[in-house]
Amino acid sequence: MLPSKANAPHAKKVLFPDKQPTNSRQVKSSTLTNAAGLSSLITFTVLLLAWISGFASRLFAVIRFESIIHEFDPWFNYRATAYMVQHGFYNFLNWFDERAWYPLGRIVGGTVYPGLMITSGSIHHILHSLNIPVHIRDICVFLAPVFSGLTAISTYFLTKELWSAGAGLFAACFIAIVPGYISRSVAGSYDNEGIAIFALQFTYYLWVKSVKTGSIFWAVLTALSYFYMVSAWGGYVFIINLIPLHVFALLVMNRYSNRLFTSYTTFYILGLLLSMQIPFVGFQPIRTSEHMAAGGVFGLLIFVAVFRYLRTMLTKSEMKYFGGFVTLTAAALLLILVILTYSGLVAPWSGRFYSLWDTGYAKIHIPIIASVSEHQPTTWFSFFFDLHILVTTFPVGLWYCIKHINDERVFVVLYAISAVYFAGVMVRLMLTLTPVVCMLAGVAFSGLLELFLKEEDKDGSDREGGEGSEEESEEETERSSRRALYDEAGKLRRMKHERPKGSGDGLGANLRNGVVIGISMLLMMFTVHCTWVTSNAYSSPSIVLASYSNDGGRSILDDFREAYYWLAQNTPNDARVMSWWDYGYQIAGMANRTTLVDNNTWNNSHIALVGKAMSSNESAAYDIMTSLDVDYVLVIFGGMIGYSGDDINKFLWMVRIAEGEHPQDIRESDYFTERGEFRVDSEGSPTLLNSLMYKLSYYRFGEVKIDYRSPAGFDRTRNAEIGNKNFQLTYLDEAYTTEHWLVRIYRVKKPEEFNRPRIPIAERTINRRTSSFLSKKTARRKKGLIKGRPTVVKGQKPQKKSTT
Amino acid sequence: MENIYRVPFIVLQVPNLKIKKPSWFVKPSSMVMFALILFSYFLVTGGIIYDVIVEPPSVGSTTDEHGHSRPVAFMPYRVNGQYIMEGLASSFLFTLGGLGFIVLDQTHSPSTPKLNRILLISVGFISIIVSFFTCWIFMRMKLPGYLQS
Repeated sequence: MLPSKANAPHAKKVLFPDKQPTNSRQVKSSTLTNAAGLSSLITFTVLLLAWISGFASRLFAVIRFESIIHEFDPWFNYRATAYMVQHGFYNFLNWFDERAWYPLGRIVGGTVYPGLMITSGSIHHILHSLNIPVHIRDICVFLAPVFSGLTAISTYFLTKELWSAGAGLFAACFIAIVPGYISRSVAGSYDNEGIAIFALQFTYYLWVKSVKTGSIFWAVLTALSYFYMVSAWGGYVFIINLIPLHVFALLVMNRYSNRLFTSYTTFYILGLLLSMQIPFVGFQPIRTSEHMAAGGVFGLLIFVAVFRYLRTMLTKSEMKYFGGFVTLTAAALLLILVILTYSGLVAPWSGRFYSLWDTGYAKIHIPIIASVSEHQPTTWFSFFFDLHILVTTFPVGLWYCIKHINDERVFVVLYAISAVYFAGVMVRLMLTLTPVVCMLAGVAFSGLLELFLKEEDKDGSDREGGEGSEEESEEETERSSRRALYDEAGKLRRMKHERPKGSGDGLGANLRNGVVIGISMLLMMFTVHCTWVTSNAYSSPSIVLASYSNDGGRSILDDFREAYYWLAQNTPNDARVMSWWDYGYQIAGMANRTTLVDNNTWNNSHIALVGKAMSSNESAAYDIMTSLDVDYVLVIFGGMIGYSGDDINKFLWMVRIAEGEHPQDIRESDYFTERGEFRVDSEGSPTLLNSLMYKLSYYRFGEVKIDYRSPAGFDRTRNAEIGNKNFQLTYLDEAYTTEHWLVRIYRVKKPEEFNRPRIPIAERTINRRTSSFLSKKTARRKKGLIKGRPTVVKGQKPQKKSTT
Repeated sequence: MENIYRVPFIVLQVPNLKIKKPSWFVKPSSMVMFALILFSYFLVTGGIIYDVIVEPPSVGSTTDEHGHSRPVAFMPYRVNGQYIMEGLASSFLFTLGGLGFIVLDQTHSPSTPKLNRILLISVGFISIIVSFFTCWIFMRMKLPGYLQS
């Protein structure tokens, strides 16, 4: 573990105290003061505390609101999990969901990463077999916080392999509370990422372990953990590209070893086979370009191995020819790959991955990817907001790792670089950056604290320097008093080490203590920041909104659930609800009604059709809606309470997506004013003011006066008085509007319901039925029909049967 | 074996080439690598990719109540938006803080005289503190309620 390149003075400093000095410092019989026992006790305590604090800080939403599933995607995951628990695993795999993507339906089993459902389903199963009746919803809500503790532990192990146990403890504490990870794992955010980060870190730990040991055992474990990762999250592609990149970098740096060969070949073959067992992944690992790098590196590694073997057998002149042979083969393989890609046998990079490289690609070609807010490129703010002080210590840890490079530190360096780049491209991928930042920050802090805490007694307590001093400041004081005790014993030895330093000896405990206190202050600020961010930014369920008045009172806006329950209670069971795709999963999950589009945005043209309906005028939209059998339309409107995430603000994306598929009908420029502004007041473009979305959002809003100062129909989200006030809807009917007007539901009229002249009641002629018997059969179905049945003509006796 | 290798050279004549590895092409030292990485880190944390895709102005401007247009360095309230200069300024601070930590580590080299060590420690520490508090102020400008409610 000692760095290979450490020069003499550094080596002396025992900067990397992986090897616990097991010399008995004091003659103590108690296990507590025994060095190994103490360090494992500290490790255990710190990890436990990290787990508890990580779990606790994720509970803001549950405490403030209730145990509820958050946001959008979790609703689908929850629905699928509930289905699996109810119907069993195999029925889940074969589940065809006819309530989504009407009229297409969705094959759920084959289009989902089932790891999440299986995890919570098996927890549910185990608990129930122990007679602990926990509702599956509660398991789903608390799954991510529980797994955050596992993530912390696996981060500890990974960092311990890379650097030292102290750094590992730091990293575990960081990742337990860092906002970048909390953002995806608060209680109720039941999403793939919650368990996938654990799988990611654990796979990396096993990989580093297997590279270090070169044993097949660890490599097989890596492959198994990779299998879990594949079943849990699409981000497994990151692993299957990063590990080959590591191998490749090691080859380039001339660090080939048999350990590397064993671990990579085992991992690759097993991982390939296992990953193909997931139905959603299927044959992608051998057919798509994202996975080709792994195969290429596999070939290269075998090549290098053969080459190195042959070099021991052949003479130098023969090797010369062999080099040419190698280049030729490599070129031929590359050519074959290119040909295969062009012939379509190997799928090229999919759009989502392509947008990672060519950053402008999604903006131009795939508006549906660009429209998601978490696919936006990252600003500096997000880096600081999600990582705080760690963003500055990240390069320091990197510096330590590069300075003392070895096989596994190459890995963490590559991980860091690629993750930083990806995080810069997409806000969402901040999630993959966060673990490596925590690890490197742990390395940096442990390195620094070792320097500044330890100088007094070099051999004495080098372990404690880096450990546990992160949050428990009271522990620190306790330790320093203990150190004073050790000082007595260690003084003689210390002098020996300090002597070459000469004048550096009296650097002053004050200065060092000042630095240590300063660093602890920074860490304290970090925890304050993390808690604040978690509480204020990441703990909103987003289906229940809370607004705070000036006197501290809180009012809950529960409009979403109000609307969904209205749908569930008042509409026929097979009613089709059209809404923008953001709300598809929620409608399916809470209202249990059929939706046209949802958050699984697999069918762009279908979404574009809905977008076209929303952005056309009423009559054109009606055609689309009748062709899609829409019964109800649901829009989100925030103008009444100033909620900014409503459909009018998303409207331009609907237009853009619709324009991508129907460029002759919808043009984005029509929705702007001449000066290129998007405004909803009377200066807005007429196309916008007459679009379906506008009308549905602002229907009868012109009659509302919110307060005395503002005019009627004043939109508080966009701070404008709406431009089109008094209009009637011809083809739709307002069915329900929630308390704060957040959700508005409209019923689509049947063709016979509109456009009929109104007759005063006095002039109506009403046909009343003479008999009170009401057949349930319609006129058409009343008569049974048998093919080839002889018709009976009334008034004639069927005397002469004409027999043939 | 030898004969097979010779086959192409019946037709081809081996040119008398001398390819030298260019002298500047050496394996970069670890610190060069680190400098490169740090520089790219500086760019990425400054949101350079955001700047390329969204193309914001370098500094924003606003009109005050007298109708004068005044430059605004920070895009307030917008978490997912930034001006180019504000991103670069804050990523500079991130890097400064990182360098401060590295300087702190460097103080440990045994050959440094005492005064230099104290100076180095104070330089490192001051840069950490400065970067930290300036980032804090930036956050306040960006998100006025930061750490208050």
